[in-house]
Amino acid sequence: MSLSPTSDIVGASKKSGGLIGLLLVAVPVLLIGWMIIYPIIAAVITTLWLRNDAGAYVFSTQTYRFFFTDGYSLANLGLTLWTTVVCAIILLVVCLPIALYLRFATGRLAVYVQGLAIFPLFVPSIILSYAFIRVLGPNGMLDILLNAAHLPKIRSPYLTPWGPVIGLVWDHIPLTVLILMAGLGSVSDASIEAAKDVGAGPVTRLWYIILPRISNSILVAASFAVLGIFSAFTLPYVLGPAAPEMMGPFMQRTFRDLYDPPNAITQAVVSFGFCIVFGLFYVRSVVRNQRAR
Amino acid sequence: MAAATTYREPRRVDWAGIGFAVVLTLCIILPLLVVGTWAFANVWRYPSVLPQEFGLRYWNATLARADVWTAITTSISLAVVVTLISAIICLPAAFAFARLQFPGRSILFFSFLAGQAFPKFGLLVAIAGIFLQLNLIGNFWGVVLIQLVGTLLFMIWIPVAAFQGVDRRMEEAARDVGASPLRVFWSITLPQAGPTIGAAVLLTFVNTFYETEGAWLIGAPAIRTMPVLMISFINNQPVIQYGAVLSVLLWIPSFFALLFARRVISGGSFARGFGA
Repeated sequence: MSLSPTSDIVGASKKSGGLIGLLLVAVPVLLIGWMIIYPIIAAVITTLWLRNDAGAYVFSTQTYRFFFTDGYSLANLGLTLWTTVVCAIILLVVCLPIALYLRFATGRLAVYVQGLAIFPLFVPSIILSYAFIRVLGPNGMLDILLNAAHLPKIRSPYLTPWGPVIGLVWDHIPLTVLILMAGLGSVSDASIEAAKDVGAGPVTRLWYIILPRISNSILVAASFAVLGIFSAFTLPYVLGPAAPEMMGPFMQRTFRDLYDPPNAITQAVVSFGFCIVFGLFYVRSVVRNQRAR
Repeated sequence: MAAATTYREPRRVDWAGIGFAVVLTLCIILPLLVVGTWAFANVWRYPSVLPQEFGLRYWNATLARADVWTAITTSISLAVVVTLISAIICLPAAFAFARLQFPGRSILFFSFLAGQAFPKFGLLVAIAGIFLQLNLIGNFWGVVLIQLVGTLLFMIWIPVAAFQGVDRRMEEAARDVGASPLRVFWSITLPQAGPTIGAAVLLTFVNTFYETEGAWLIGAPAIRTMPVLMISFINNQPVIQYGAVLSVLLWIPSFFALLFARRVISGGSFARGFGA
């Protein structure tokens, strides 16, 4: 999808093409400027320049000092970091074998496995939350089956930190598998065969041939997961514990229920800060891929 | 002939595939089947493995609720309005990015990635801070705006690829025999780019229909879409079947996306759009 050179086939002459082009893209570009770039800059400025008693705006780190000294805010941040790291690790451990299998397998069973791995894309997270509660919640399907087998009930992960972890992993499987599979597409059959011929076992082939070639895809998949999970809202709000809570529900509650936009925006800027490395890496990879084609 | 069949190498059993298929079926399909079963259960008391009585009682009860109908109409009108506006402003822009030369073309094209570098809900809170001053909180058009911004990337990038995939020689040939630019666009360009653009429009509609976080943060309590109503069913509704029936209703748009847009998503270009 790289931007190939254009020509004036569609009727616009070279001279007016520039103006017409700019006019055609103006509205969406202005929307991005007004609703993405301006709010981010405004969020940083309004949380650092606060109005003092005299009504003048002065530089102050007060809201950030509050966030980083408040035990509850820190507990929420800690839970968010824990959830993000645990989800990212589980996602890679679950999705890498699936992607590896799909890269090398053929036949109808592989098509079925791929269909299943992509299927969660077509299940909105709110339906997933509901299904989670009906299966893993108290007296859910799992309890029913365990009871039928005369086994004790499980300790339900519903409303514990593991609730959002399970939901978020489920939700992120398709895109993680797709990104890893796209990376594995660049591992040639010839290099695998060559390693096989010189007697390399499966583990050696994975470690020395495959992993080095897809390390970038793994980082992209991990960054994408981190960006999605760090400020997830719906799944932690519905499935997670009431306190401490993840940053998404915390921001929402601070903004809407406590009517405290300055502190909510401070929390947003803090989450920008924690994700910025992953965000920039992710965007850089997308841009590089687009330019390569 | 007979020898060939007799001595065929025995097929190796694909144990890994069987393992993945079983585990994924249990983890991905089973939970959804449970919800589907609840929607058609008139009576299902613990610890019975199957419902004591199947039936449509709760479909009638759910569809008789005023809040469900309000949510359905709100969701559909929001998704239609957002998709329409998005198509009107994005498709000409996509055409310009694909075909016209103008200053800053590349940087403007990549500017649509700006939102991708930040955690989404943090961004929504930052936008909500702006909307607060503009009185757009709890307002239909506030929700339209915030959902519209979420559609821009897909509605520009996928159609740009579609317009660039059109065979330019056919357009040139049509021009050579005297077709007007508009005629060329209508008869040559659009039919070739159409299916992919159609998939982009469908995905935009479906994604908007399910957009929960912006609607919840900006729209509540005045604007209640179906996903927002579903959250309140999960939190406050003791009758399990209402949520199950709403889940099945809620899944219908996804079903259409599954039917018509799967090809676009399974293709490599979709994953590459995510930076793979």
